[in-house]
Amino acid sequence: MNGKSNLGWTVIGAASAVLLAALWAAPLLWALSTALRPELETVSADFHWLPQTWTLDAFARTLGAGNLLRWLFNSALVALSVTVVTMAISLMAAYAFSQLRFRGRSLLFGLAMLAFLLPFEALLVPLFRTMNQLGMINSYAGIVLPQVVSPVVIYVFKQFFDGIPADFREAAVMDGAGPLRVLWSVYLPISGNIVWAMAIVTFIAAWNNFLWPFIIVTSNDMMTIPLGLTQTYDAFGVRYAQLMAAALLGALPVALAYVLFQKKVTQGFLAASGLKG
Amino acid sequence: MASVTLRGIEKRYGDNLVIKGVDLDVDDGQFVVFVGPSGCGKSTLLRMIAGLEDISAGSLELGGKPCNDVEPARRGIAMVFQSYALYPHMTVAENMGFALKLAKVPKAEIAQRVERAAAILQIGHLLERKPKALSGGQRQRVAIGRAIVRKPEVFLFDEPLSNLDAALRAQTRVELAHLHRELGSTMIYVTHDQVEAMTLGQKIVVFNGGRIEQVGTPLELYERPANLFVAGFLGSPRMNFIPATLAGEEGATAAVRLPDGSVAEVAADVARARVGATLTLGIRPEHLRIVGEAGHGAIAATVGLVEYLGDVVLVHLQVPGVDGMLAAKVGTGGATPAVGSRVGLRFDAGQAYLFDEAGLAFAPSRTRETLQAGQTAGIQ
Repeated sequence: MNGKSNLGWTVIGAASAVLLAALWAAPLLWALSTALRPELETVSADFHWLPQTWTLDAFARTLGAGNLLRWLFNSALVALSVTVVTMAISLMAAYAFSQLRFRGRSLLFGLAMLAFLLPFEALLVPLFRTMNQLGMINSYAGIVLPQVVSPVVIYVFKQFFDGIPADFREAAVMDGAGPLRVLWSVYLPISGNIVWAMAIVTFIAAWNNFLWPFIIVTSNDMMTIPLGLTQTYDAFGVRYAQLMAAALLGALPVALAYVLFQKKVTQGFLAASGLKG
Repeated sequence: MASVTLRGIEKRYGDNLVIKGVDLDVDDGQFVVFVGPSGCGKSTLLRMIAGLEDISAGSLELGGKPCNDVEPARRGIAMVFQSYALYPHMTVAENMGFALKLAKVPKAEIAQRVERAAAILQIGHLLERKPKALSGGQRQRVAIGRAIVRKPEVFLFDEPLSNLDAALRAQTRVELAHLHRELGSTMIYVTHDQVEAMTLGQKIVVFNGGRIEQVGTPLELYERPANLFVAGFLGSPRMNFIPATLAGEEGATAAVRLPDGSVAEVAADVARARVGATLTLGIRPEHLRIVGEAGHGAIAATVGLVEYLGDVVLVHLQVPGVDGMLAAKVGTGGATPAVGSRVGLRFDAGQAYLFDEAGLAFAPSRTRETLQAGQTAGIQ
């Protein structure tokens, strides 16, 4: 009885997992299927799951027209810059909040965490005004700077550092290391997986960010991929195959990054959750 | 090598005073052990010497130089942590050479000093391993090696053997004593284990509640404890304590009345006490003899528990009027009394201690040496 019941639940569980995976993958596969059709077929009244005529024409046109390579470059530069600077700031802030003793530490940490409560949208106008006054409209610095302070990342790192035995820091101090050296040579290597996980999450968020680049960028040459896709629509009219090809090309680097670092991201989240560390 | 001098050292956390004015001199090349129960402040004091904790009041001198505000790395001190604190991402060689690397010592010299320390500790074959691939004993050696390569003037050890099993602990104790002889450095060692304290220390400092209870050689502390705390802390099993009243004094011998009404003699100078004063009689388990039966001046007792430890038998005894059980160490050669049997207890006057109401020991009288040499006075 028990064995049969268990088998039944296993089958139901597996079927549910396949169904959910199919639901999740369907839009992606549909985008791929659309991108591999001739433009005419995408607006045909006859519905087909797969292209009747297979072609890479949409990809070729997307790469040949518009400004896609430039937008890819912009996205890569912005996402990498945001990731590197966010990691540097967050690691130093988290180390200070976790390991150093100084007057006003709790108050400062509380203020940093208060930023959780402020939606980014509420800061759009003051941020835009500030960037405008600094002459950073349509500049990489203008796109990057407002994205580099992340209370969530600081909080996660602080929690992780709190769990590292203080003996490591004290041993390093006895060895002659200052705070930055302790962070760089001891805490950072020990926290490798969680840093990778946060870096990937930050990279993906920065790559996909639409709102802030939409506000700060007006020049076509400074656009990132999410912003550029809206331009693709305007530039090509209703050309679904090319739109899907551009979307897929834009998402490719992020997907690639995730696949490459998937193991580290998973280990990092497990370490942060305390399940393994 | 350097001496360590503490004068009026205090440590305060808010309103909480945890180190209450410590004065201590550690000579050049001496092996000093801080011992005491958990929370007595011994580790805190060690950390203050290391520079990991600020000193709230008082002065610290290392090699005659004031060091209260000197950075930990500039004090000429190396510390071995209880957890060893080996950097998990570095190899053994990198762990040992990290301090030298930070001090910008040339690579060739780092390698040479690491190899020399590894040779002393016989860990040369482990240099390329990561800490996770080492056993507890090997990690402990690496932690000591990391301290040795810095050529410190003072070594600090914070309970370094507490994570090892009993056999390895005994072996490492011997090796540490050998290392001290070889290096000749000043060493301060914190432990709550009295066996480590007694076997390693040239000088033992007994702490309790943030204060020093007594300082002395292991033998001084064991044979002449200054108070009830030290008498009870050093020795395993601990010293037996029996409530008593001063019945009289005759020459160098004090007569004390025990709870069962019998009178015992102790070779102690009780001139500062008055007759009738409440005292505590202390007898170490190895000095308590079990005789066939009570009476004829022997204390009546009932055997509550017998523990066979291989080389010795511990007999736990219930005595009317005494809280808890007394312990007696007897050899394995003779007959061991059965649990529940009634026996008599005797002791020698020269091997018992007396403490006043405040717990302070009365000095042993001059006759003690004579009595310890063989004369039996003891219980009447």
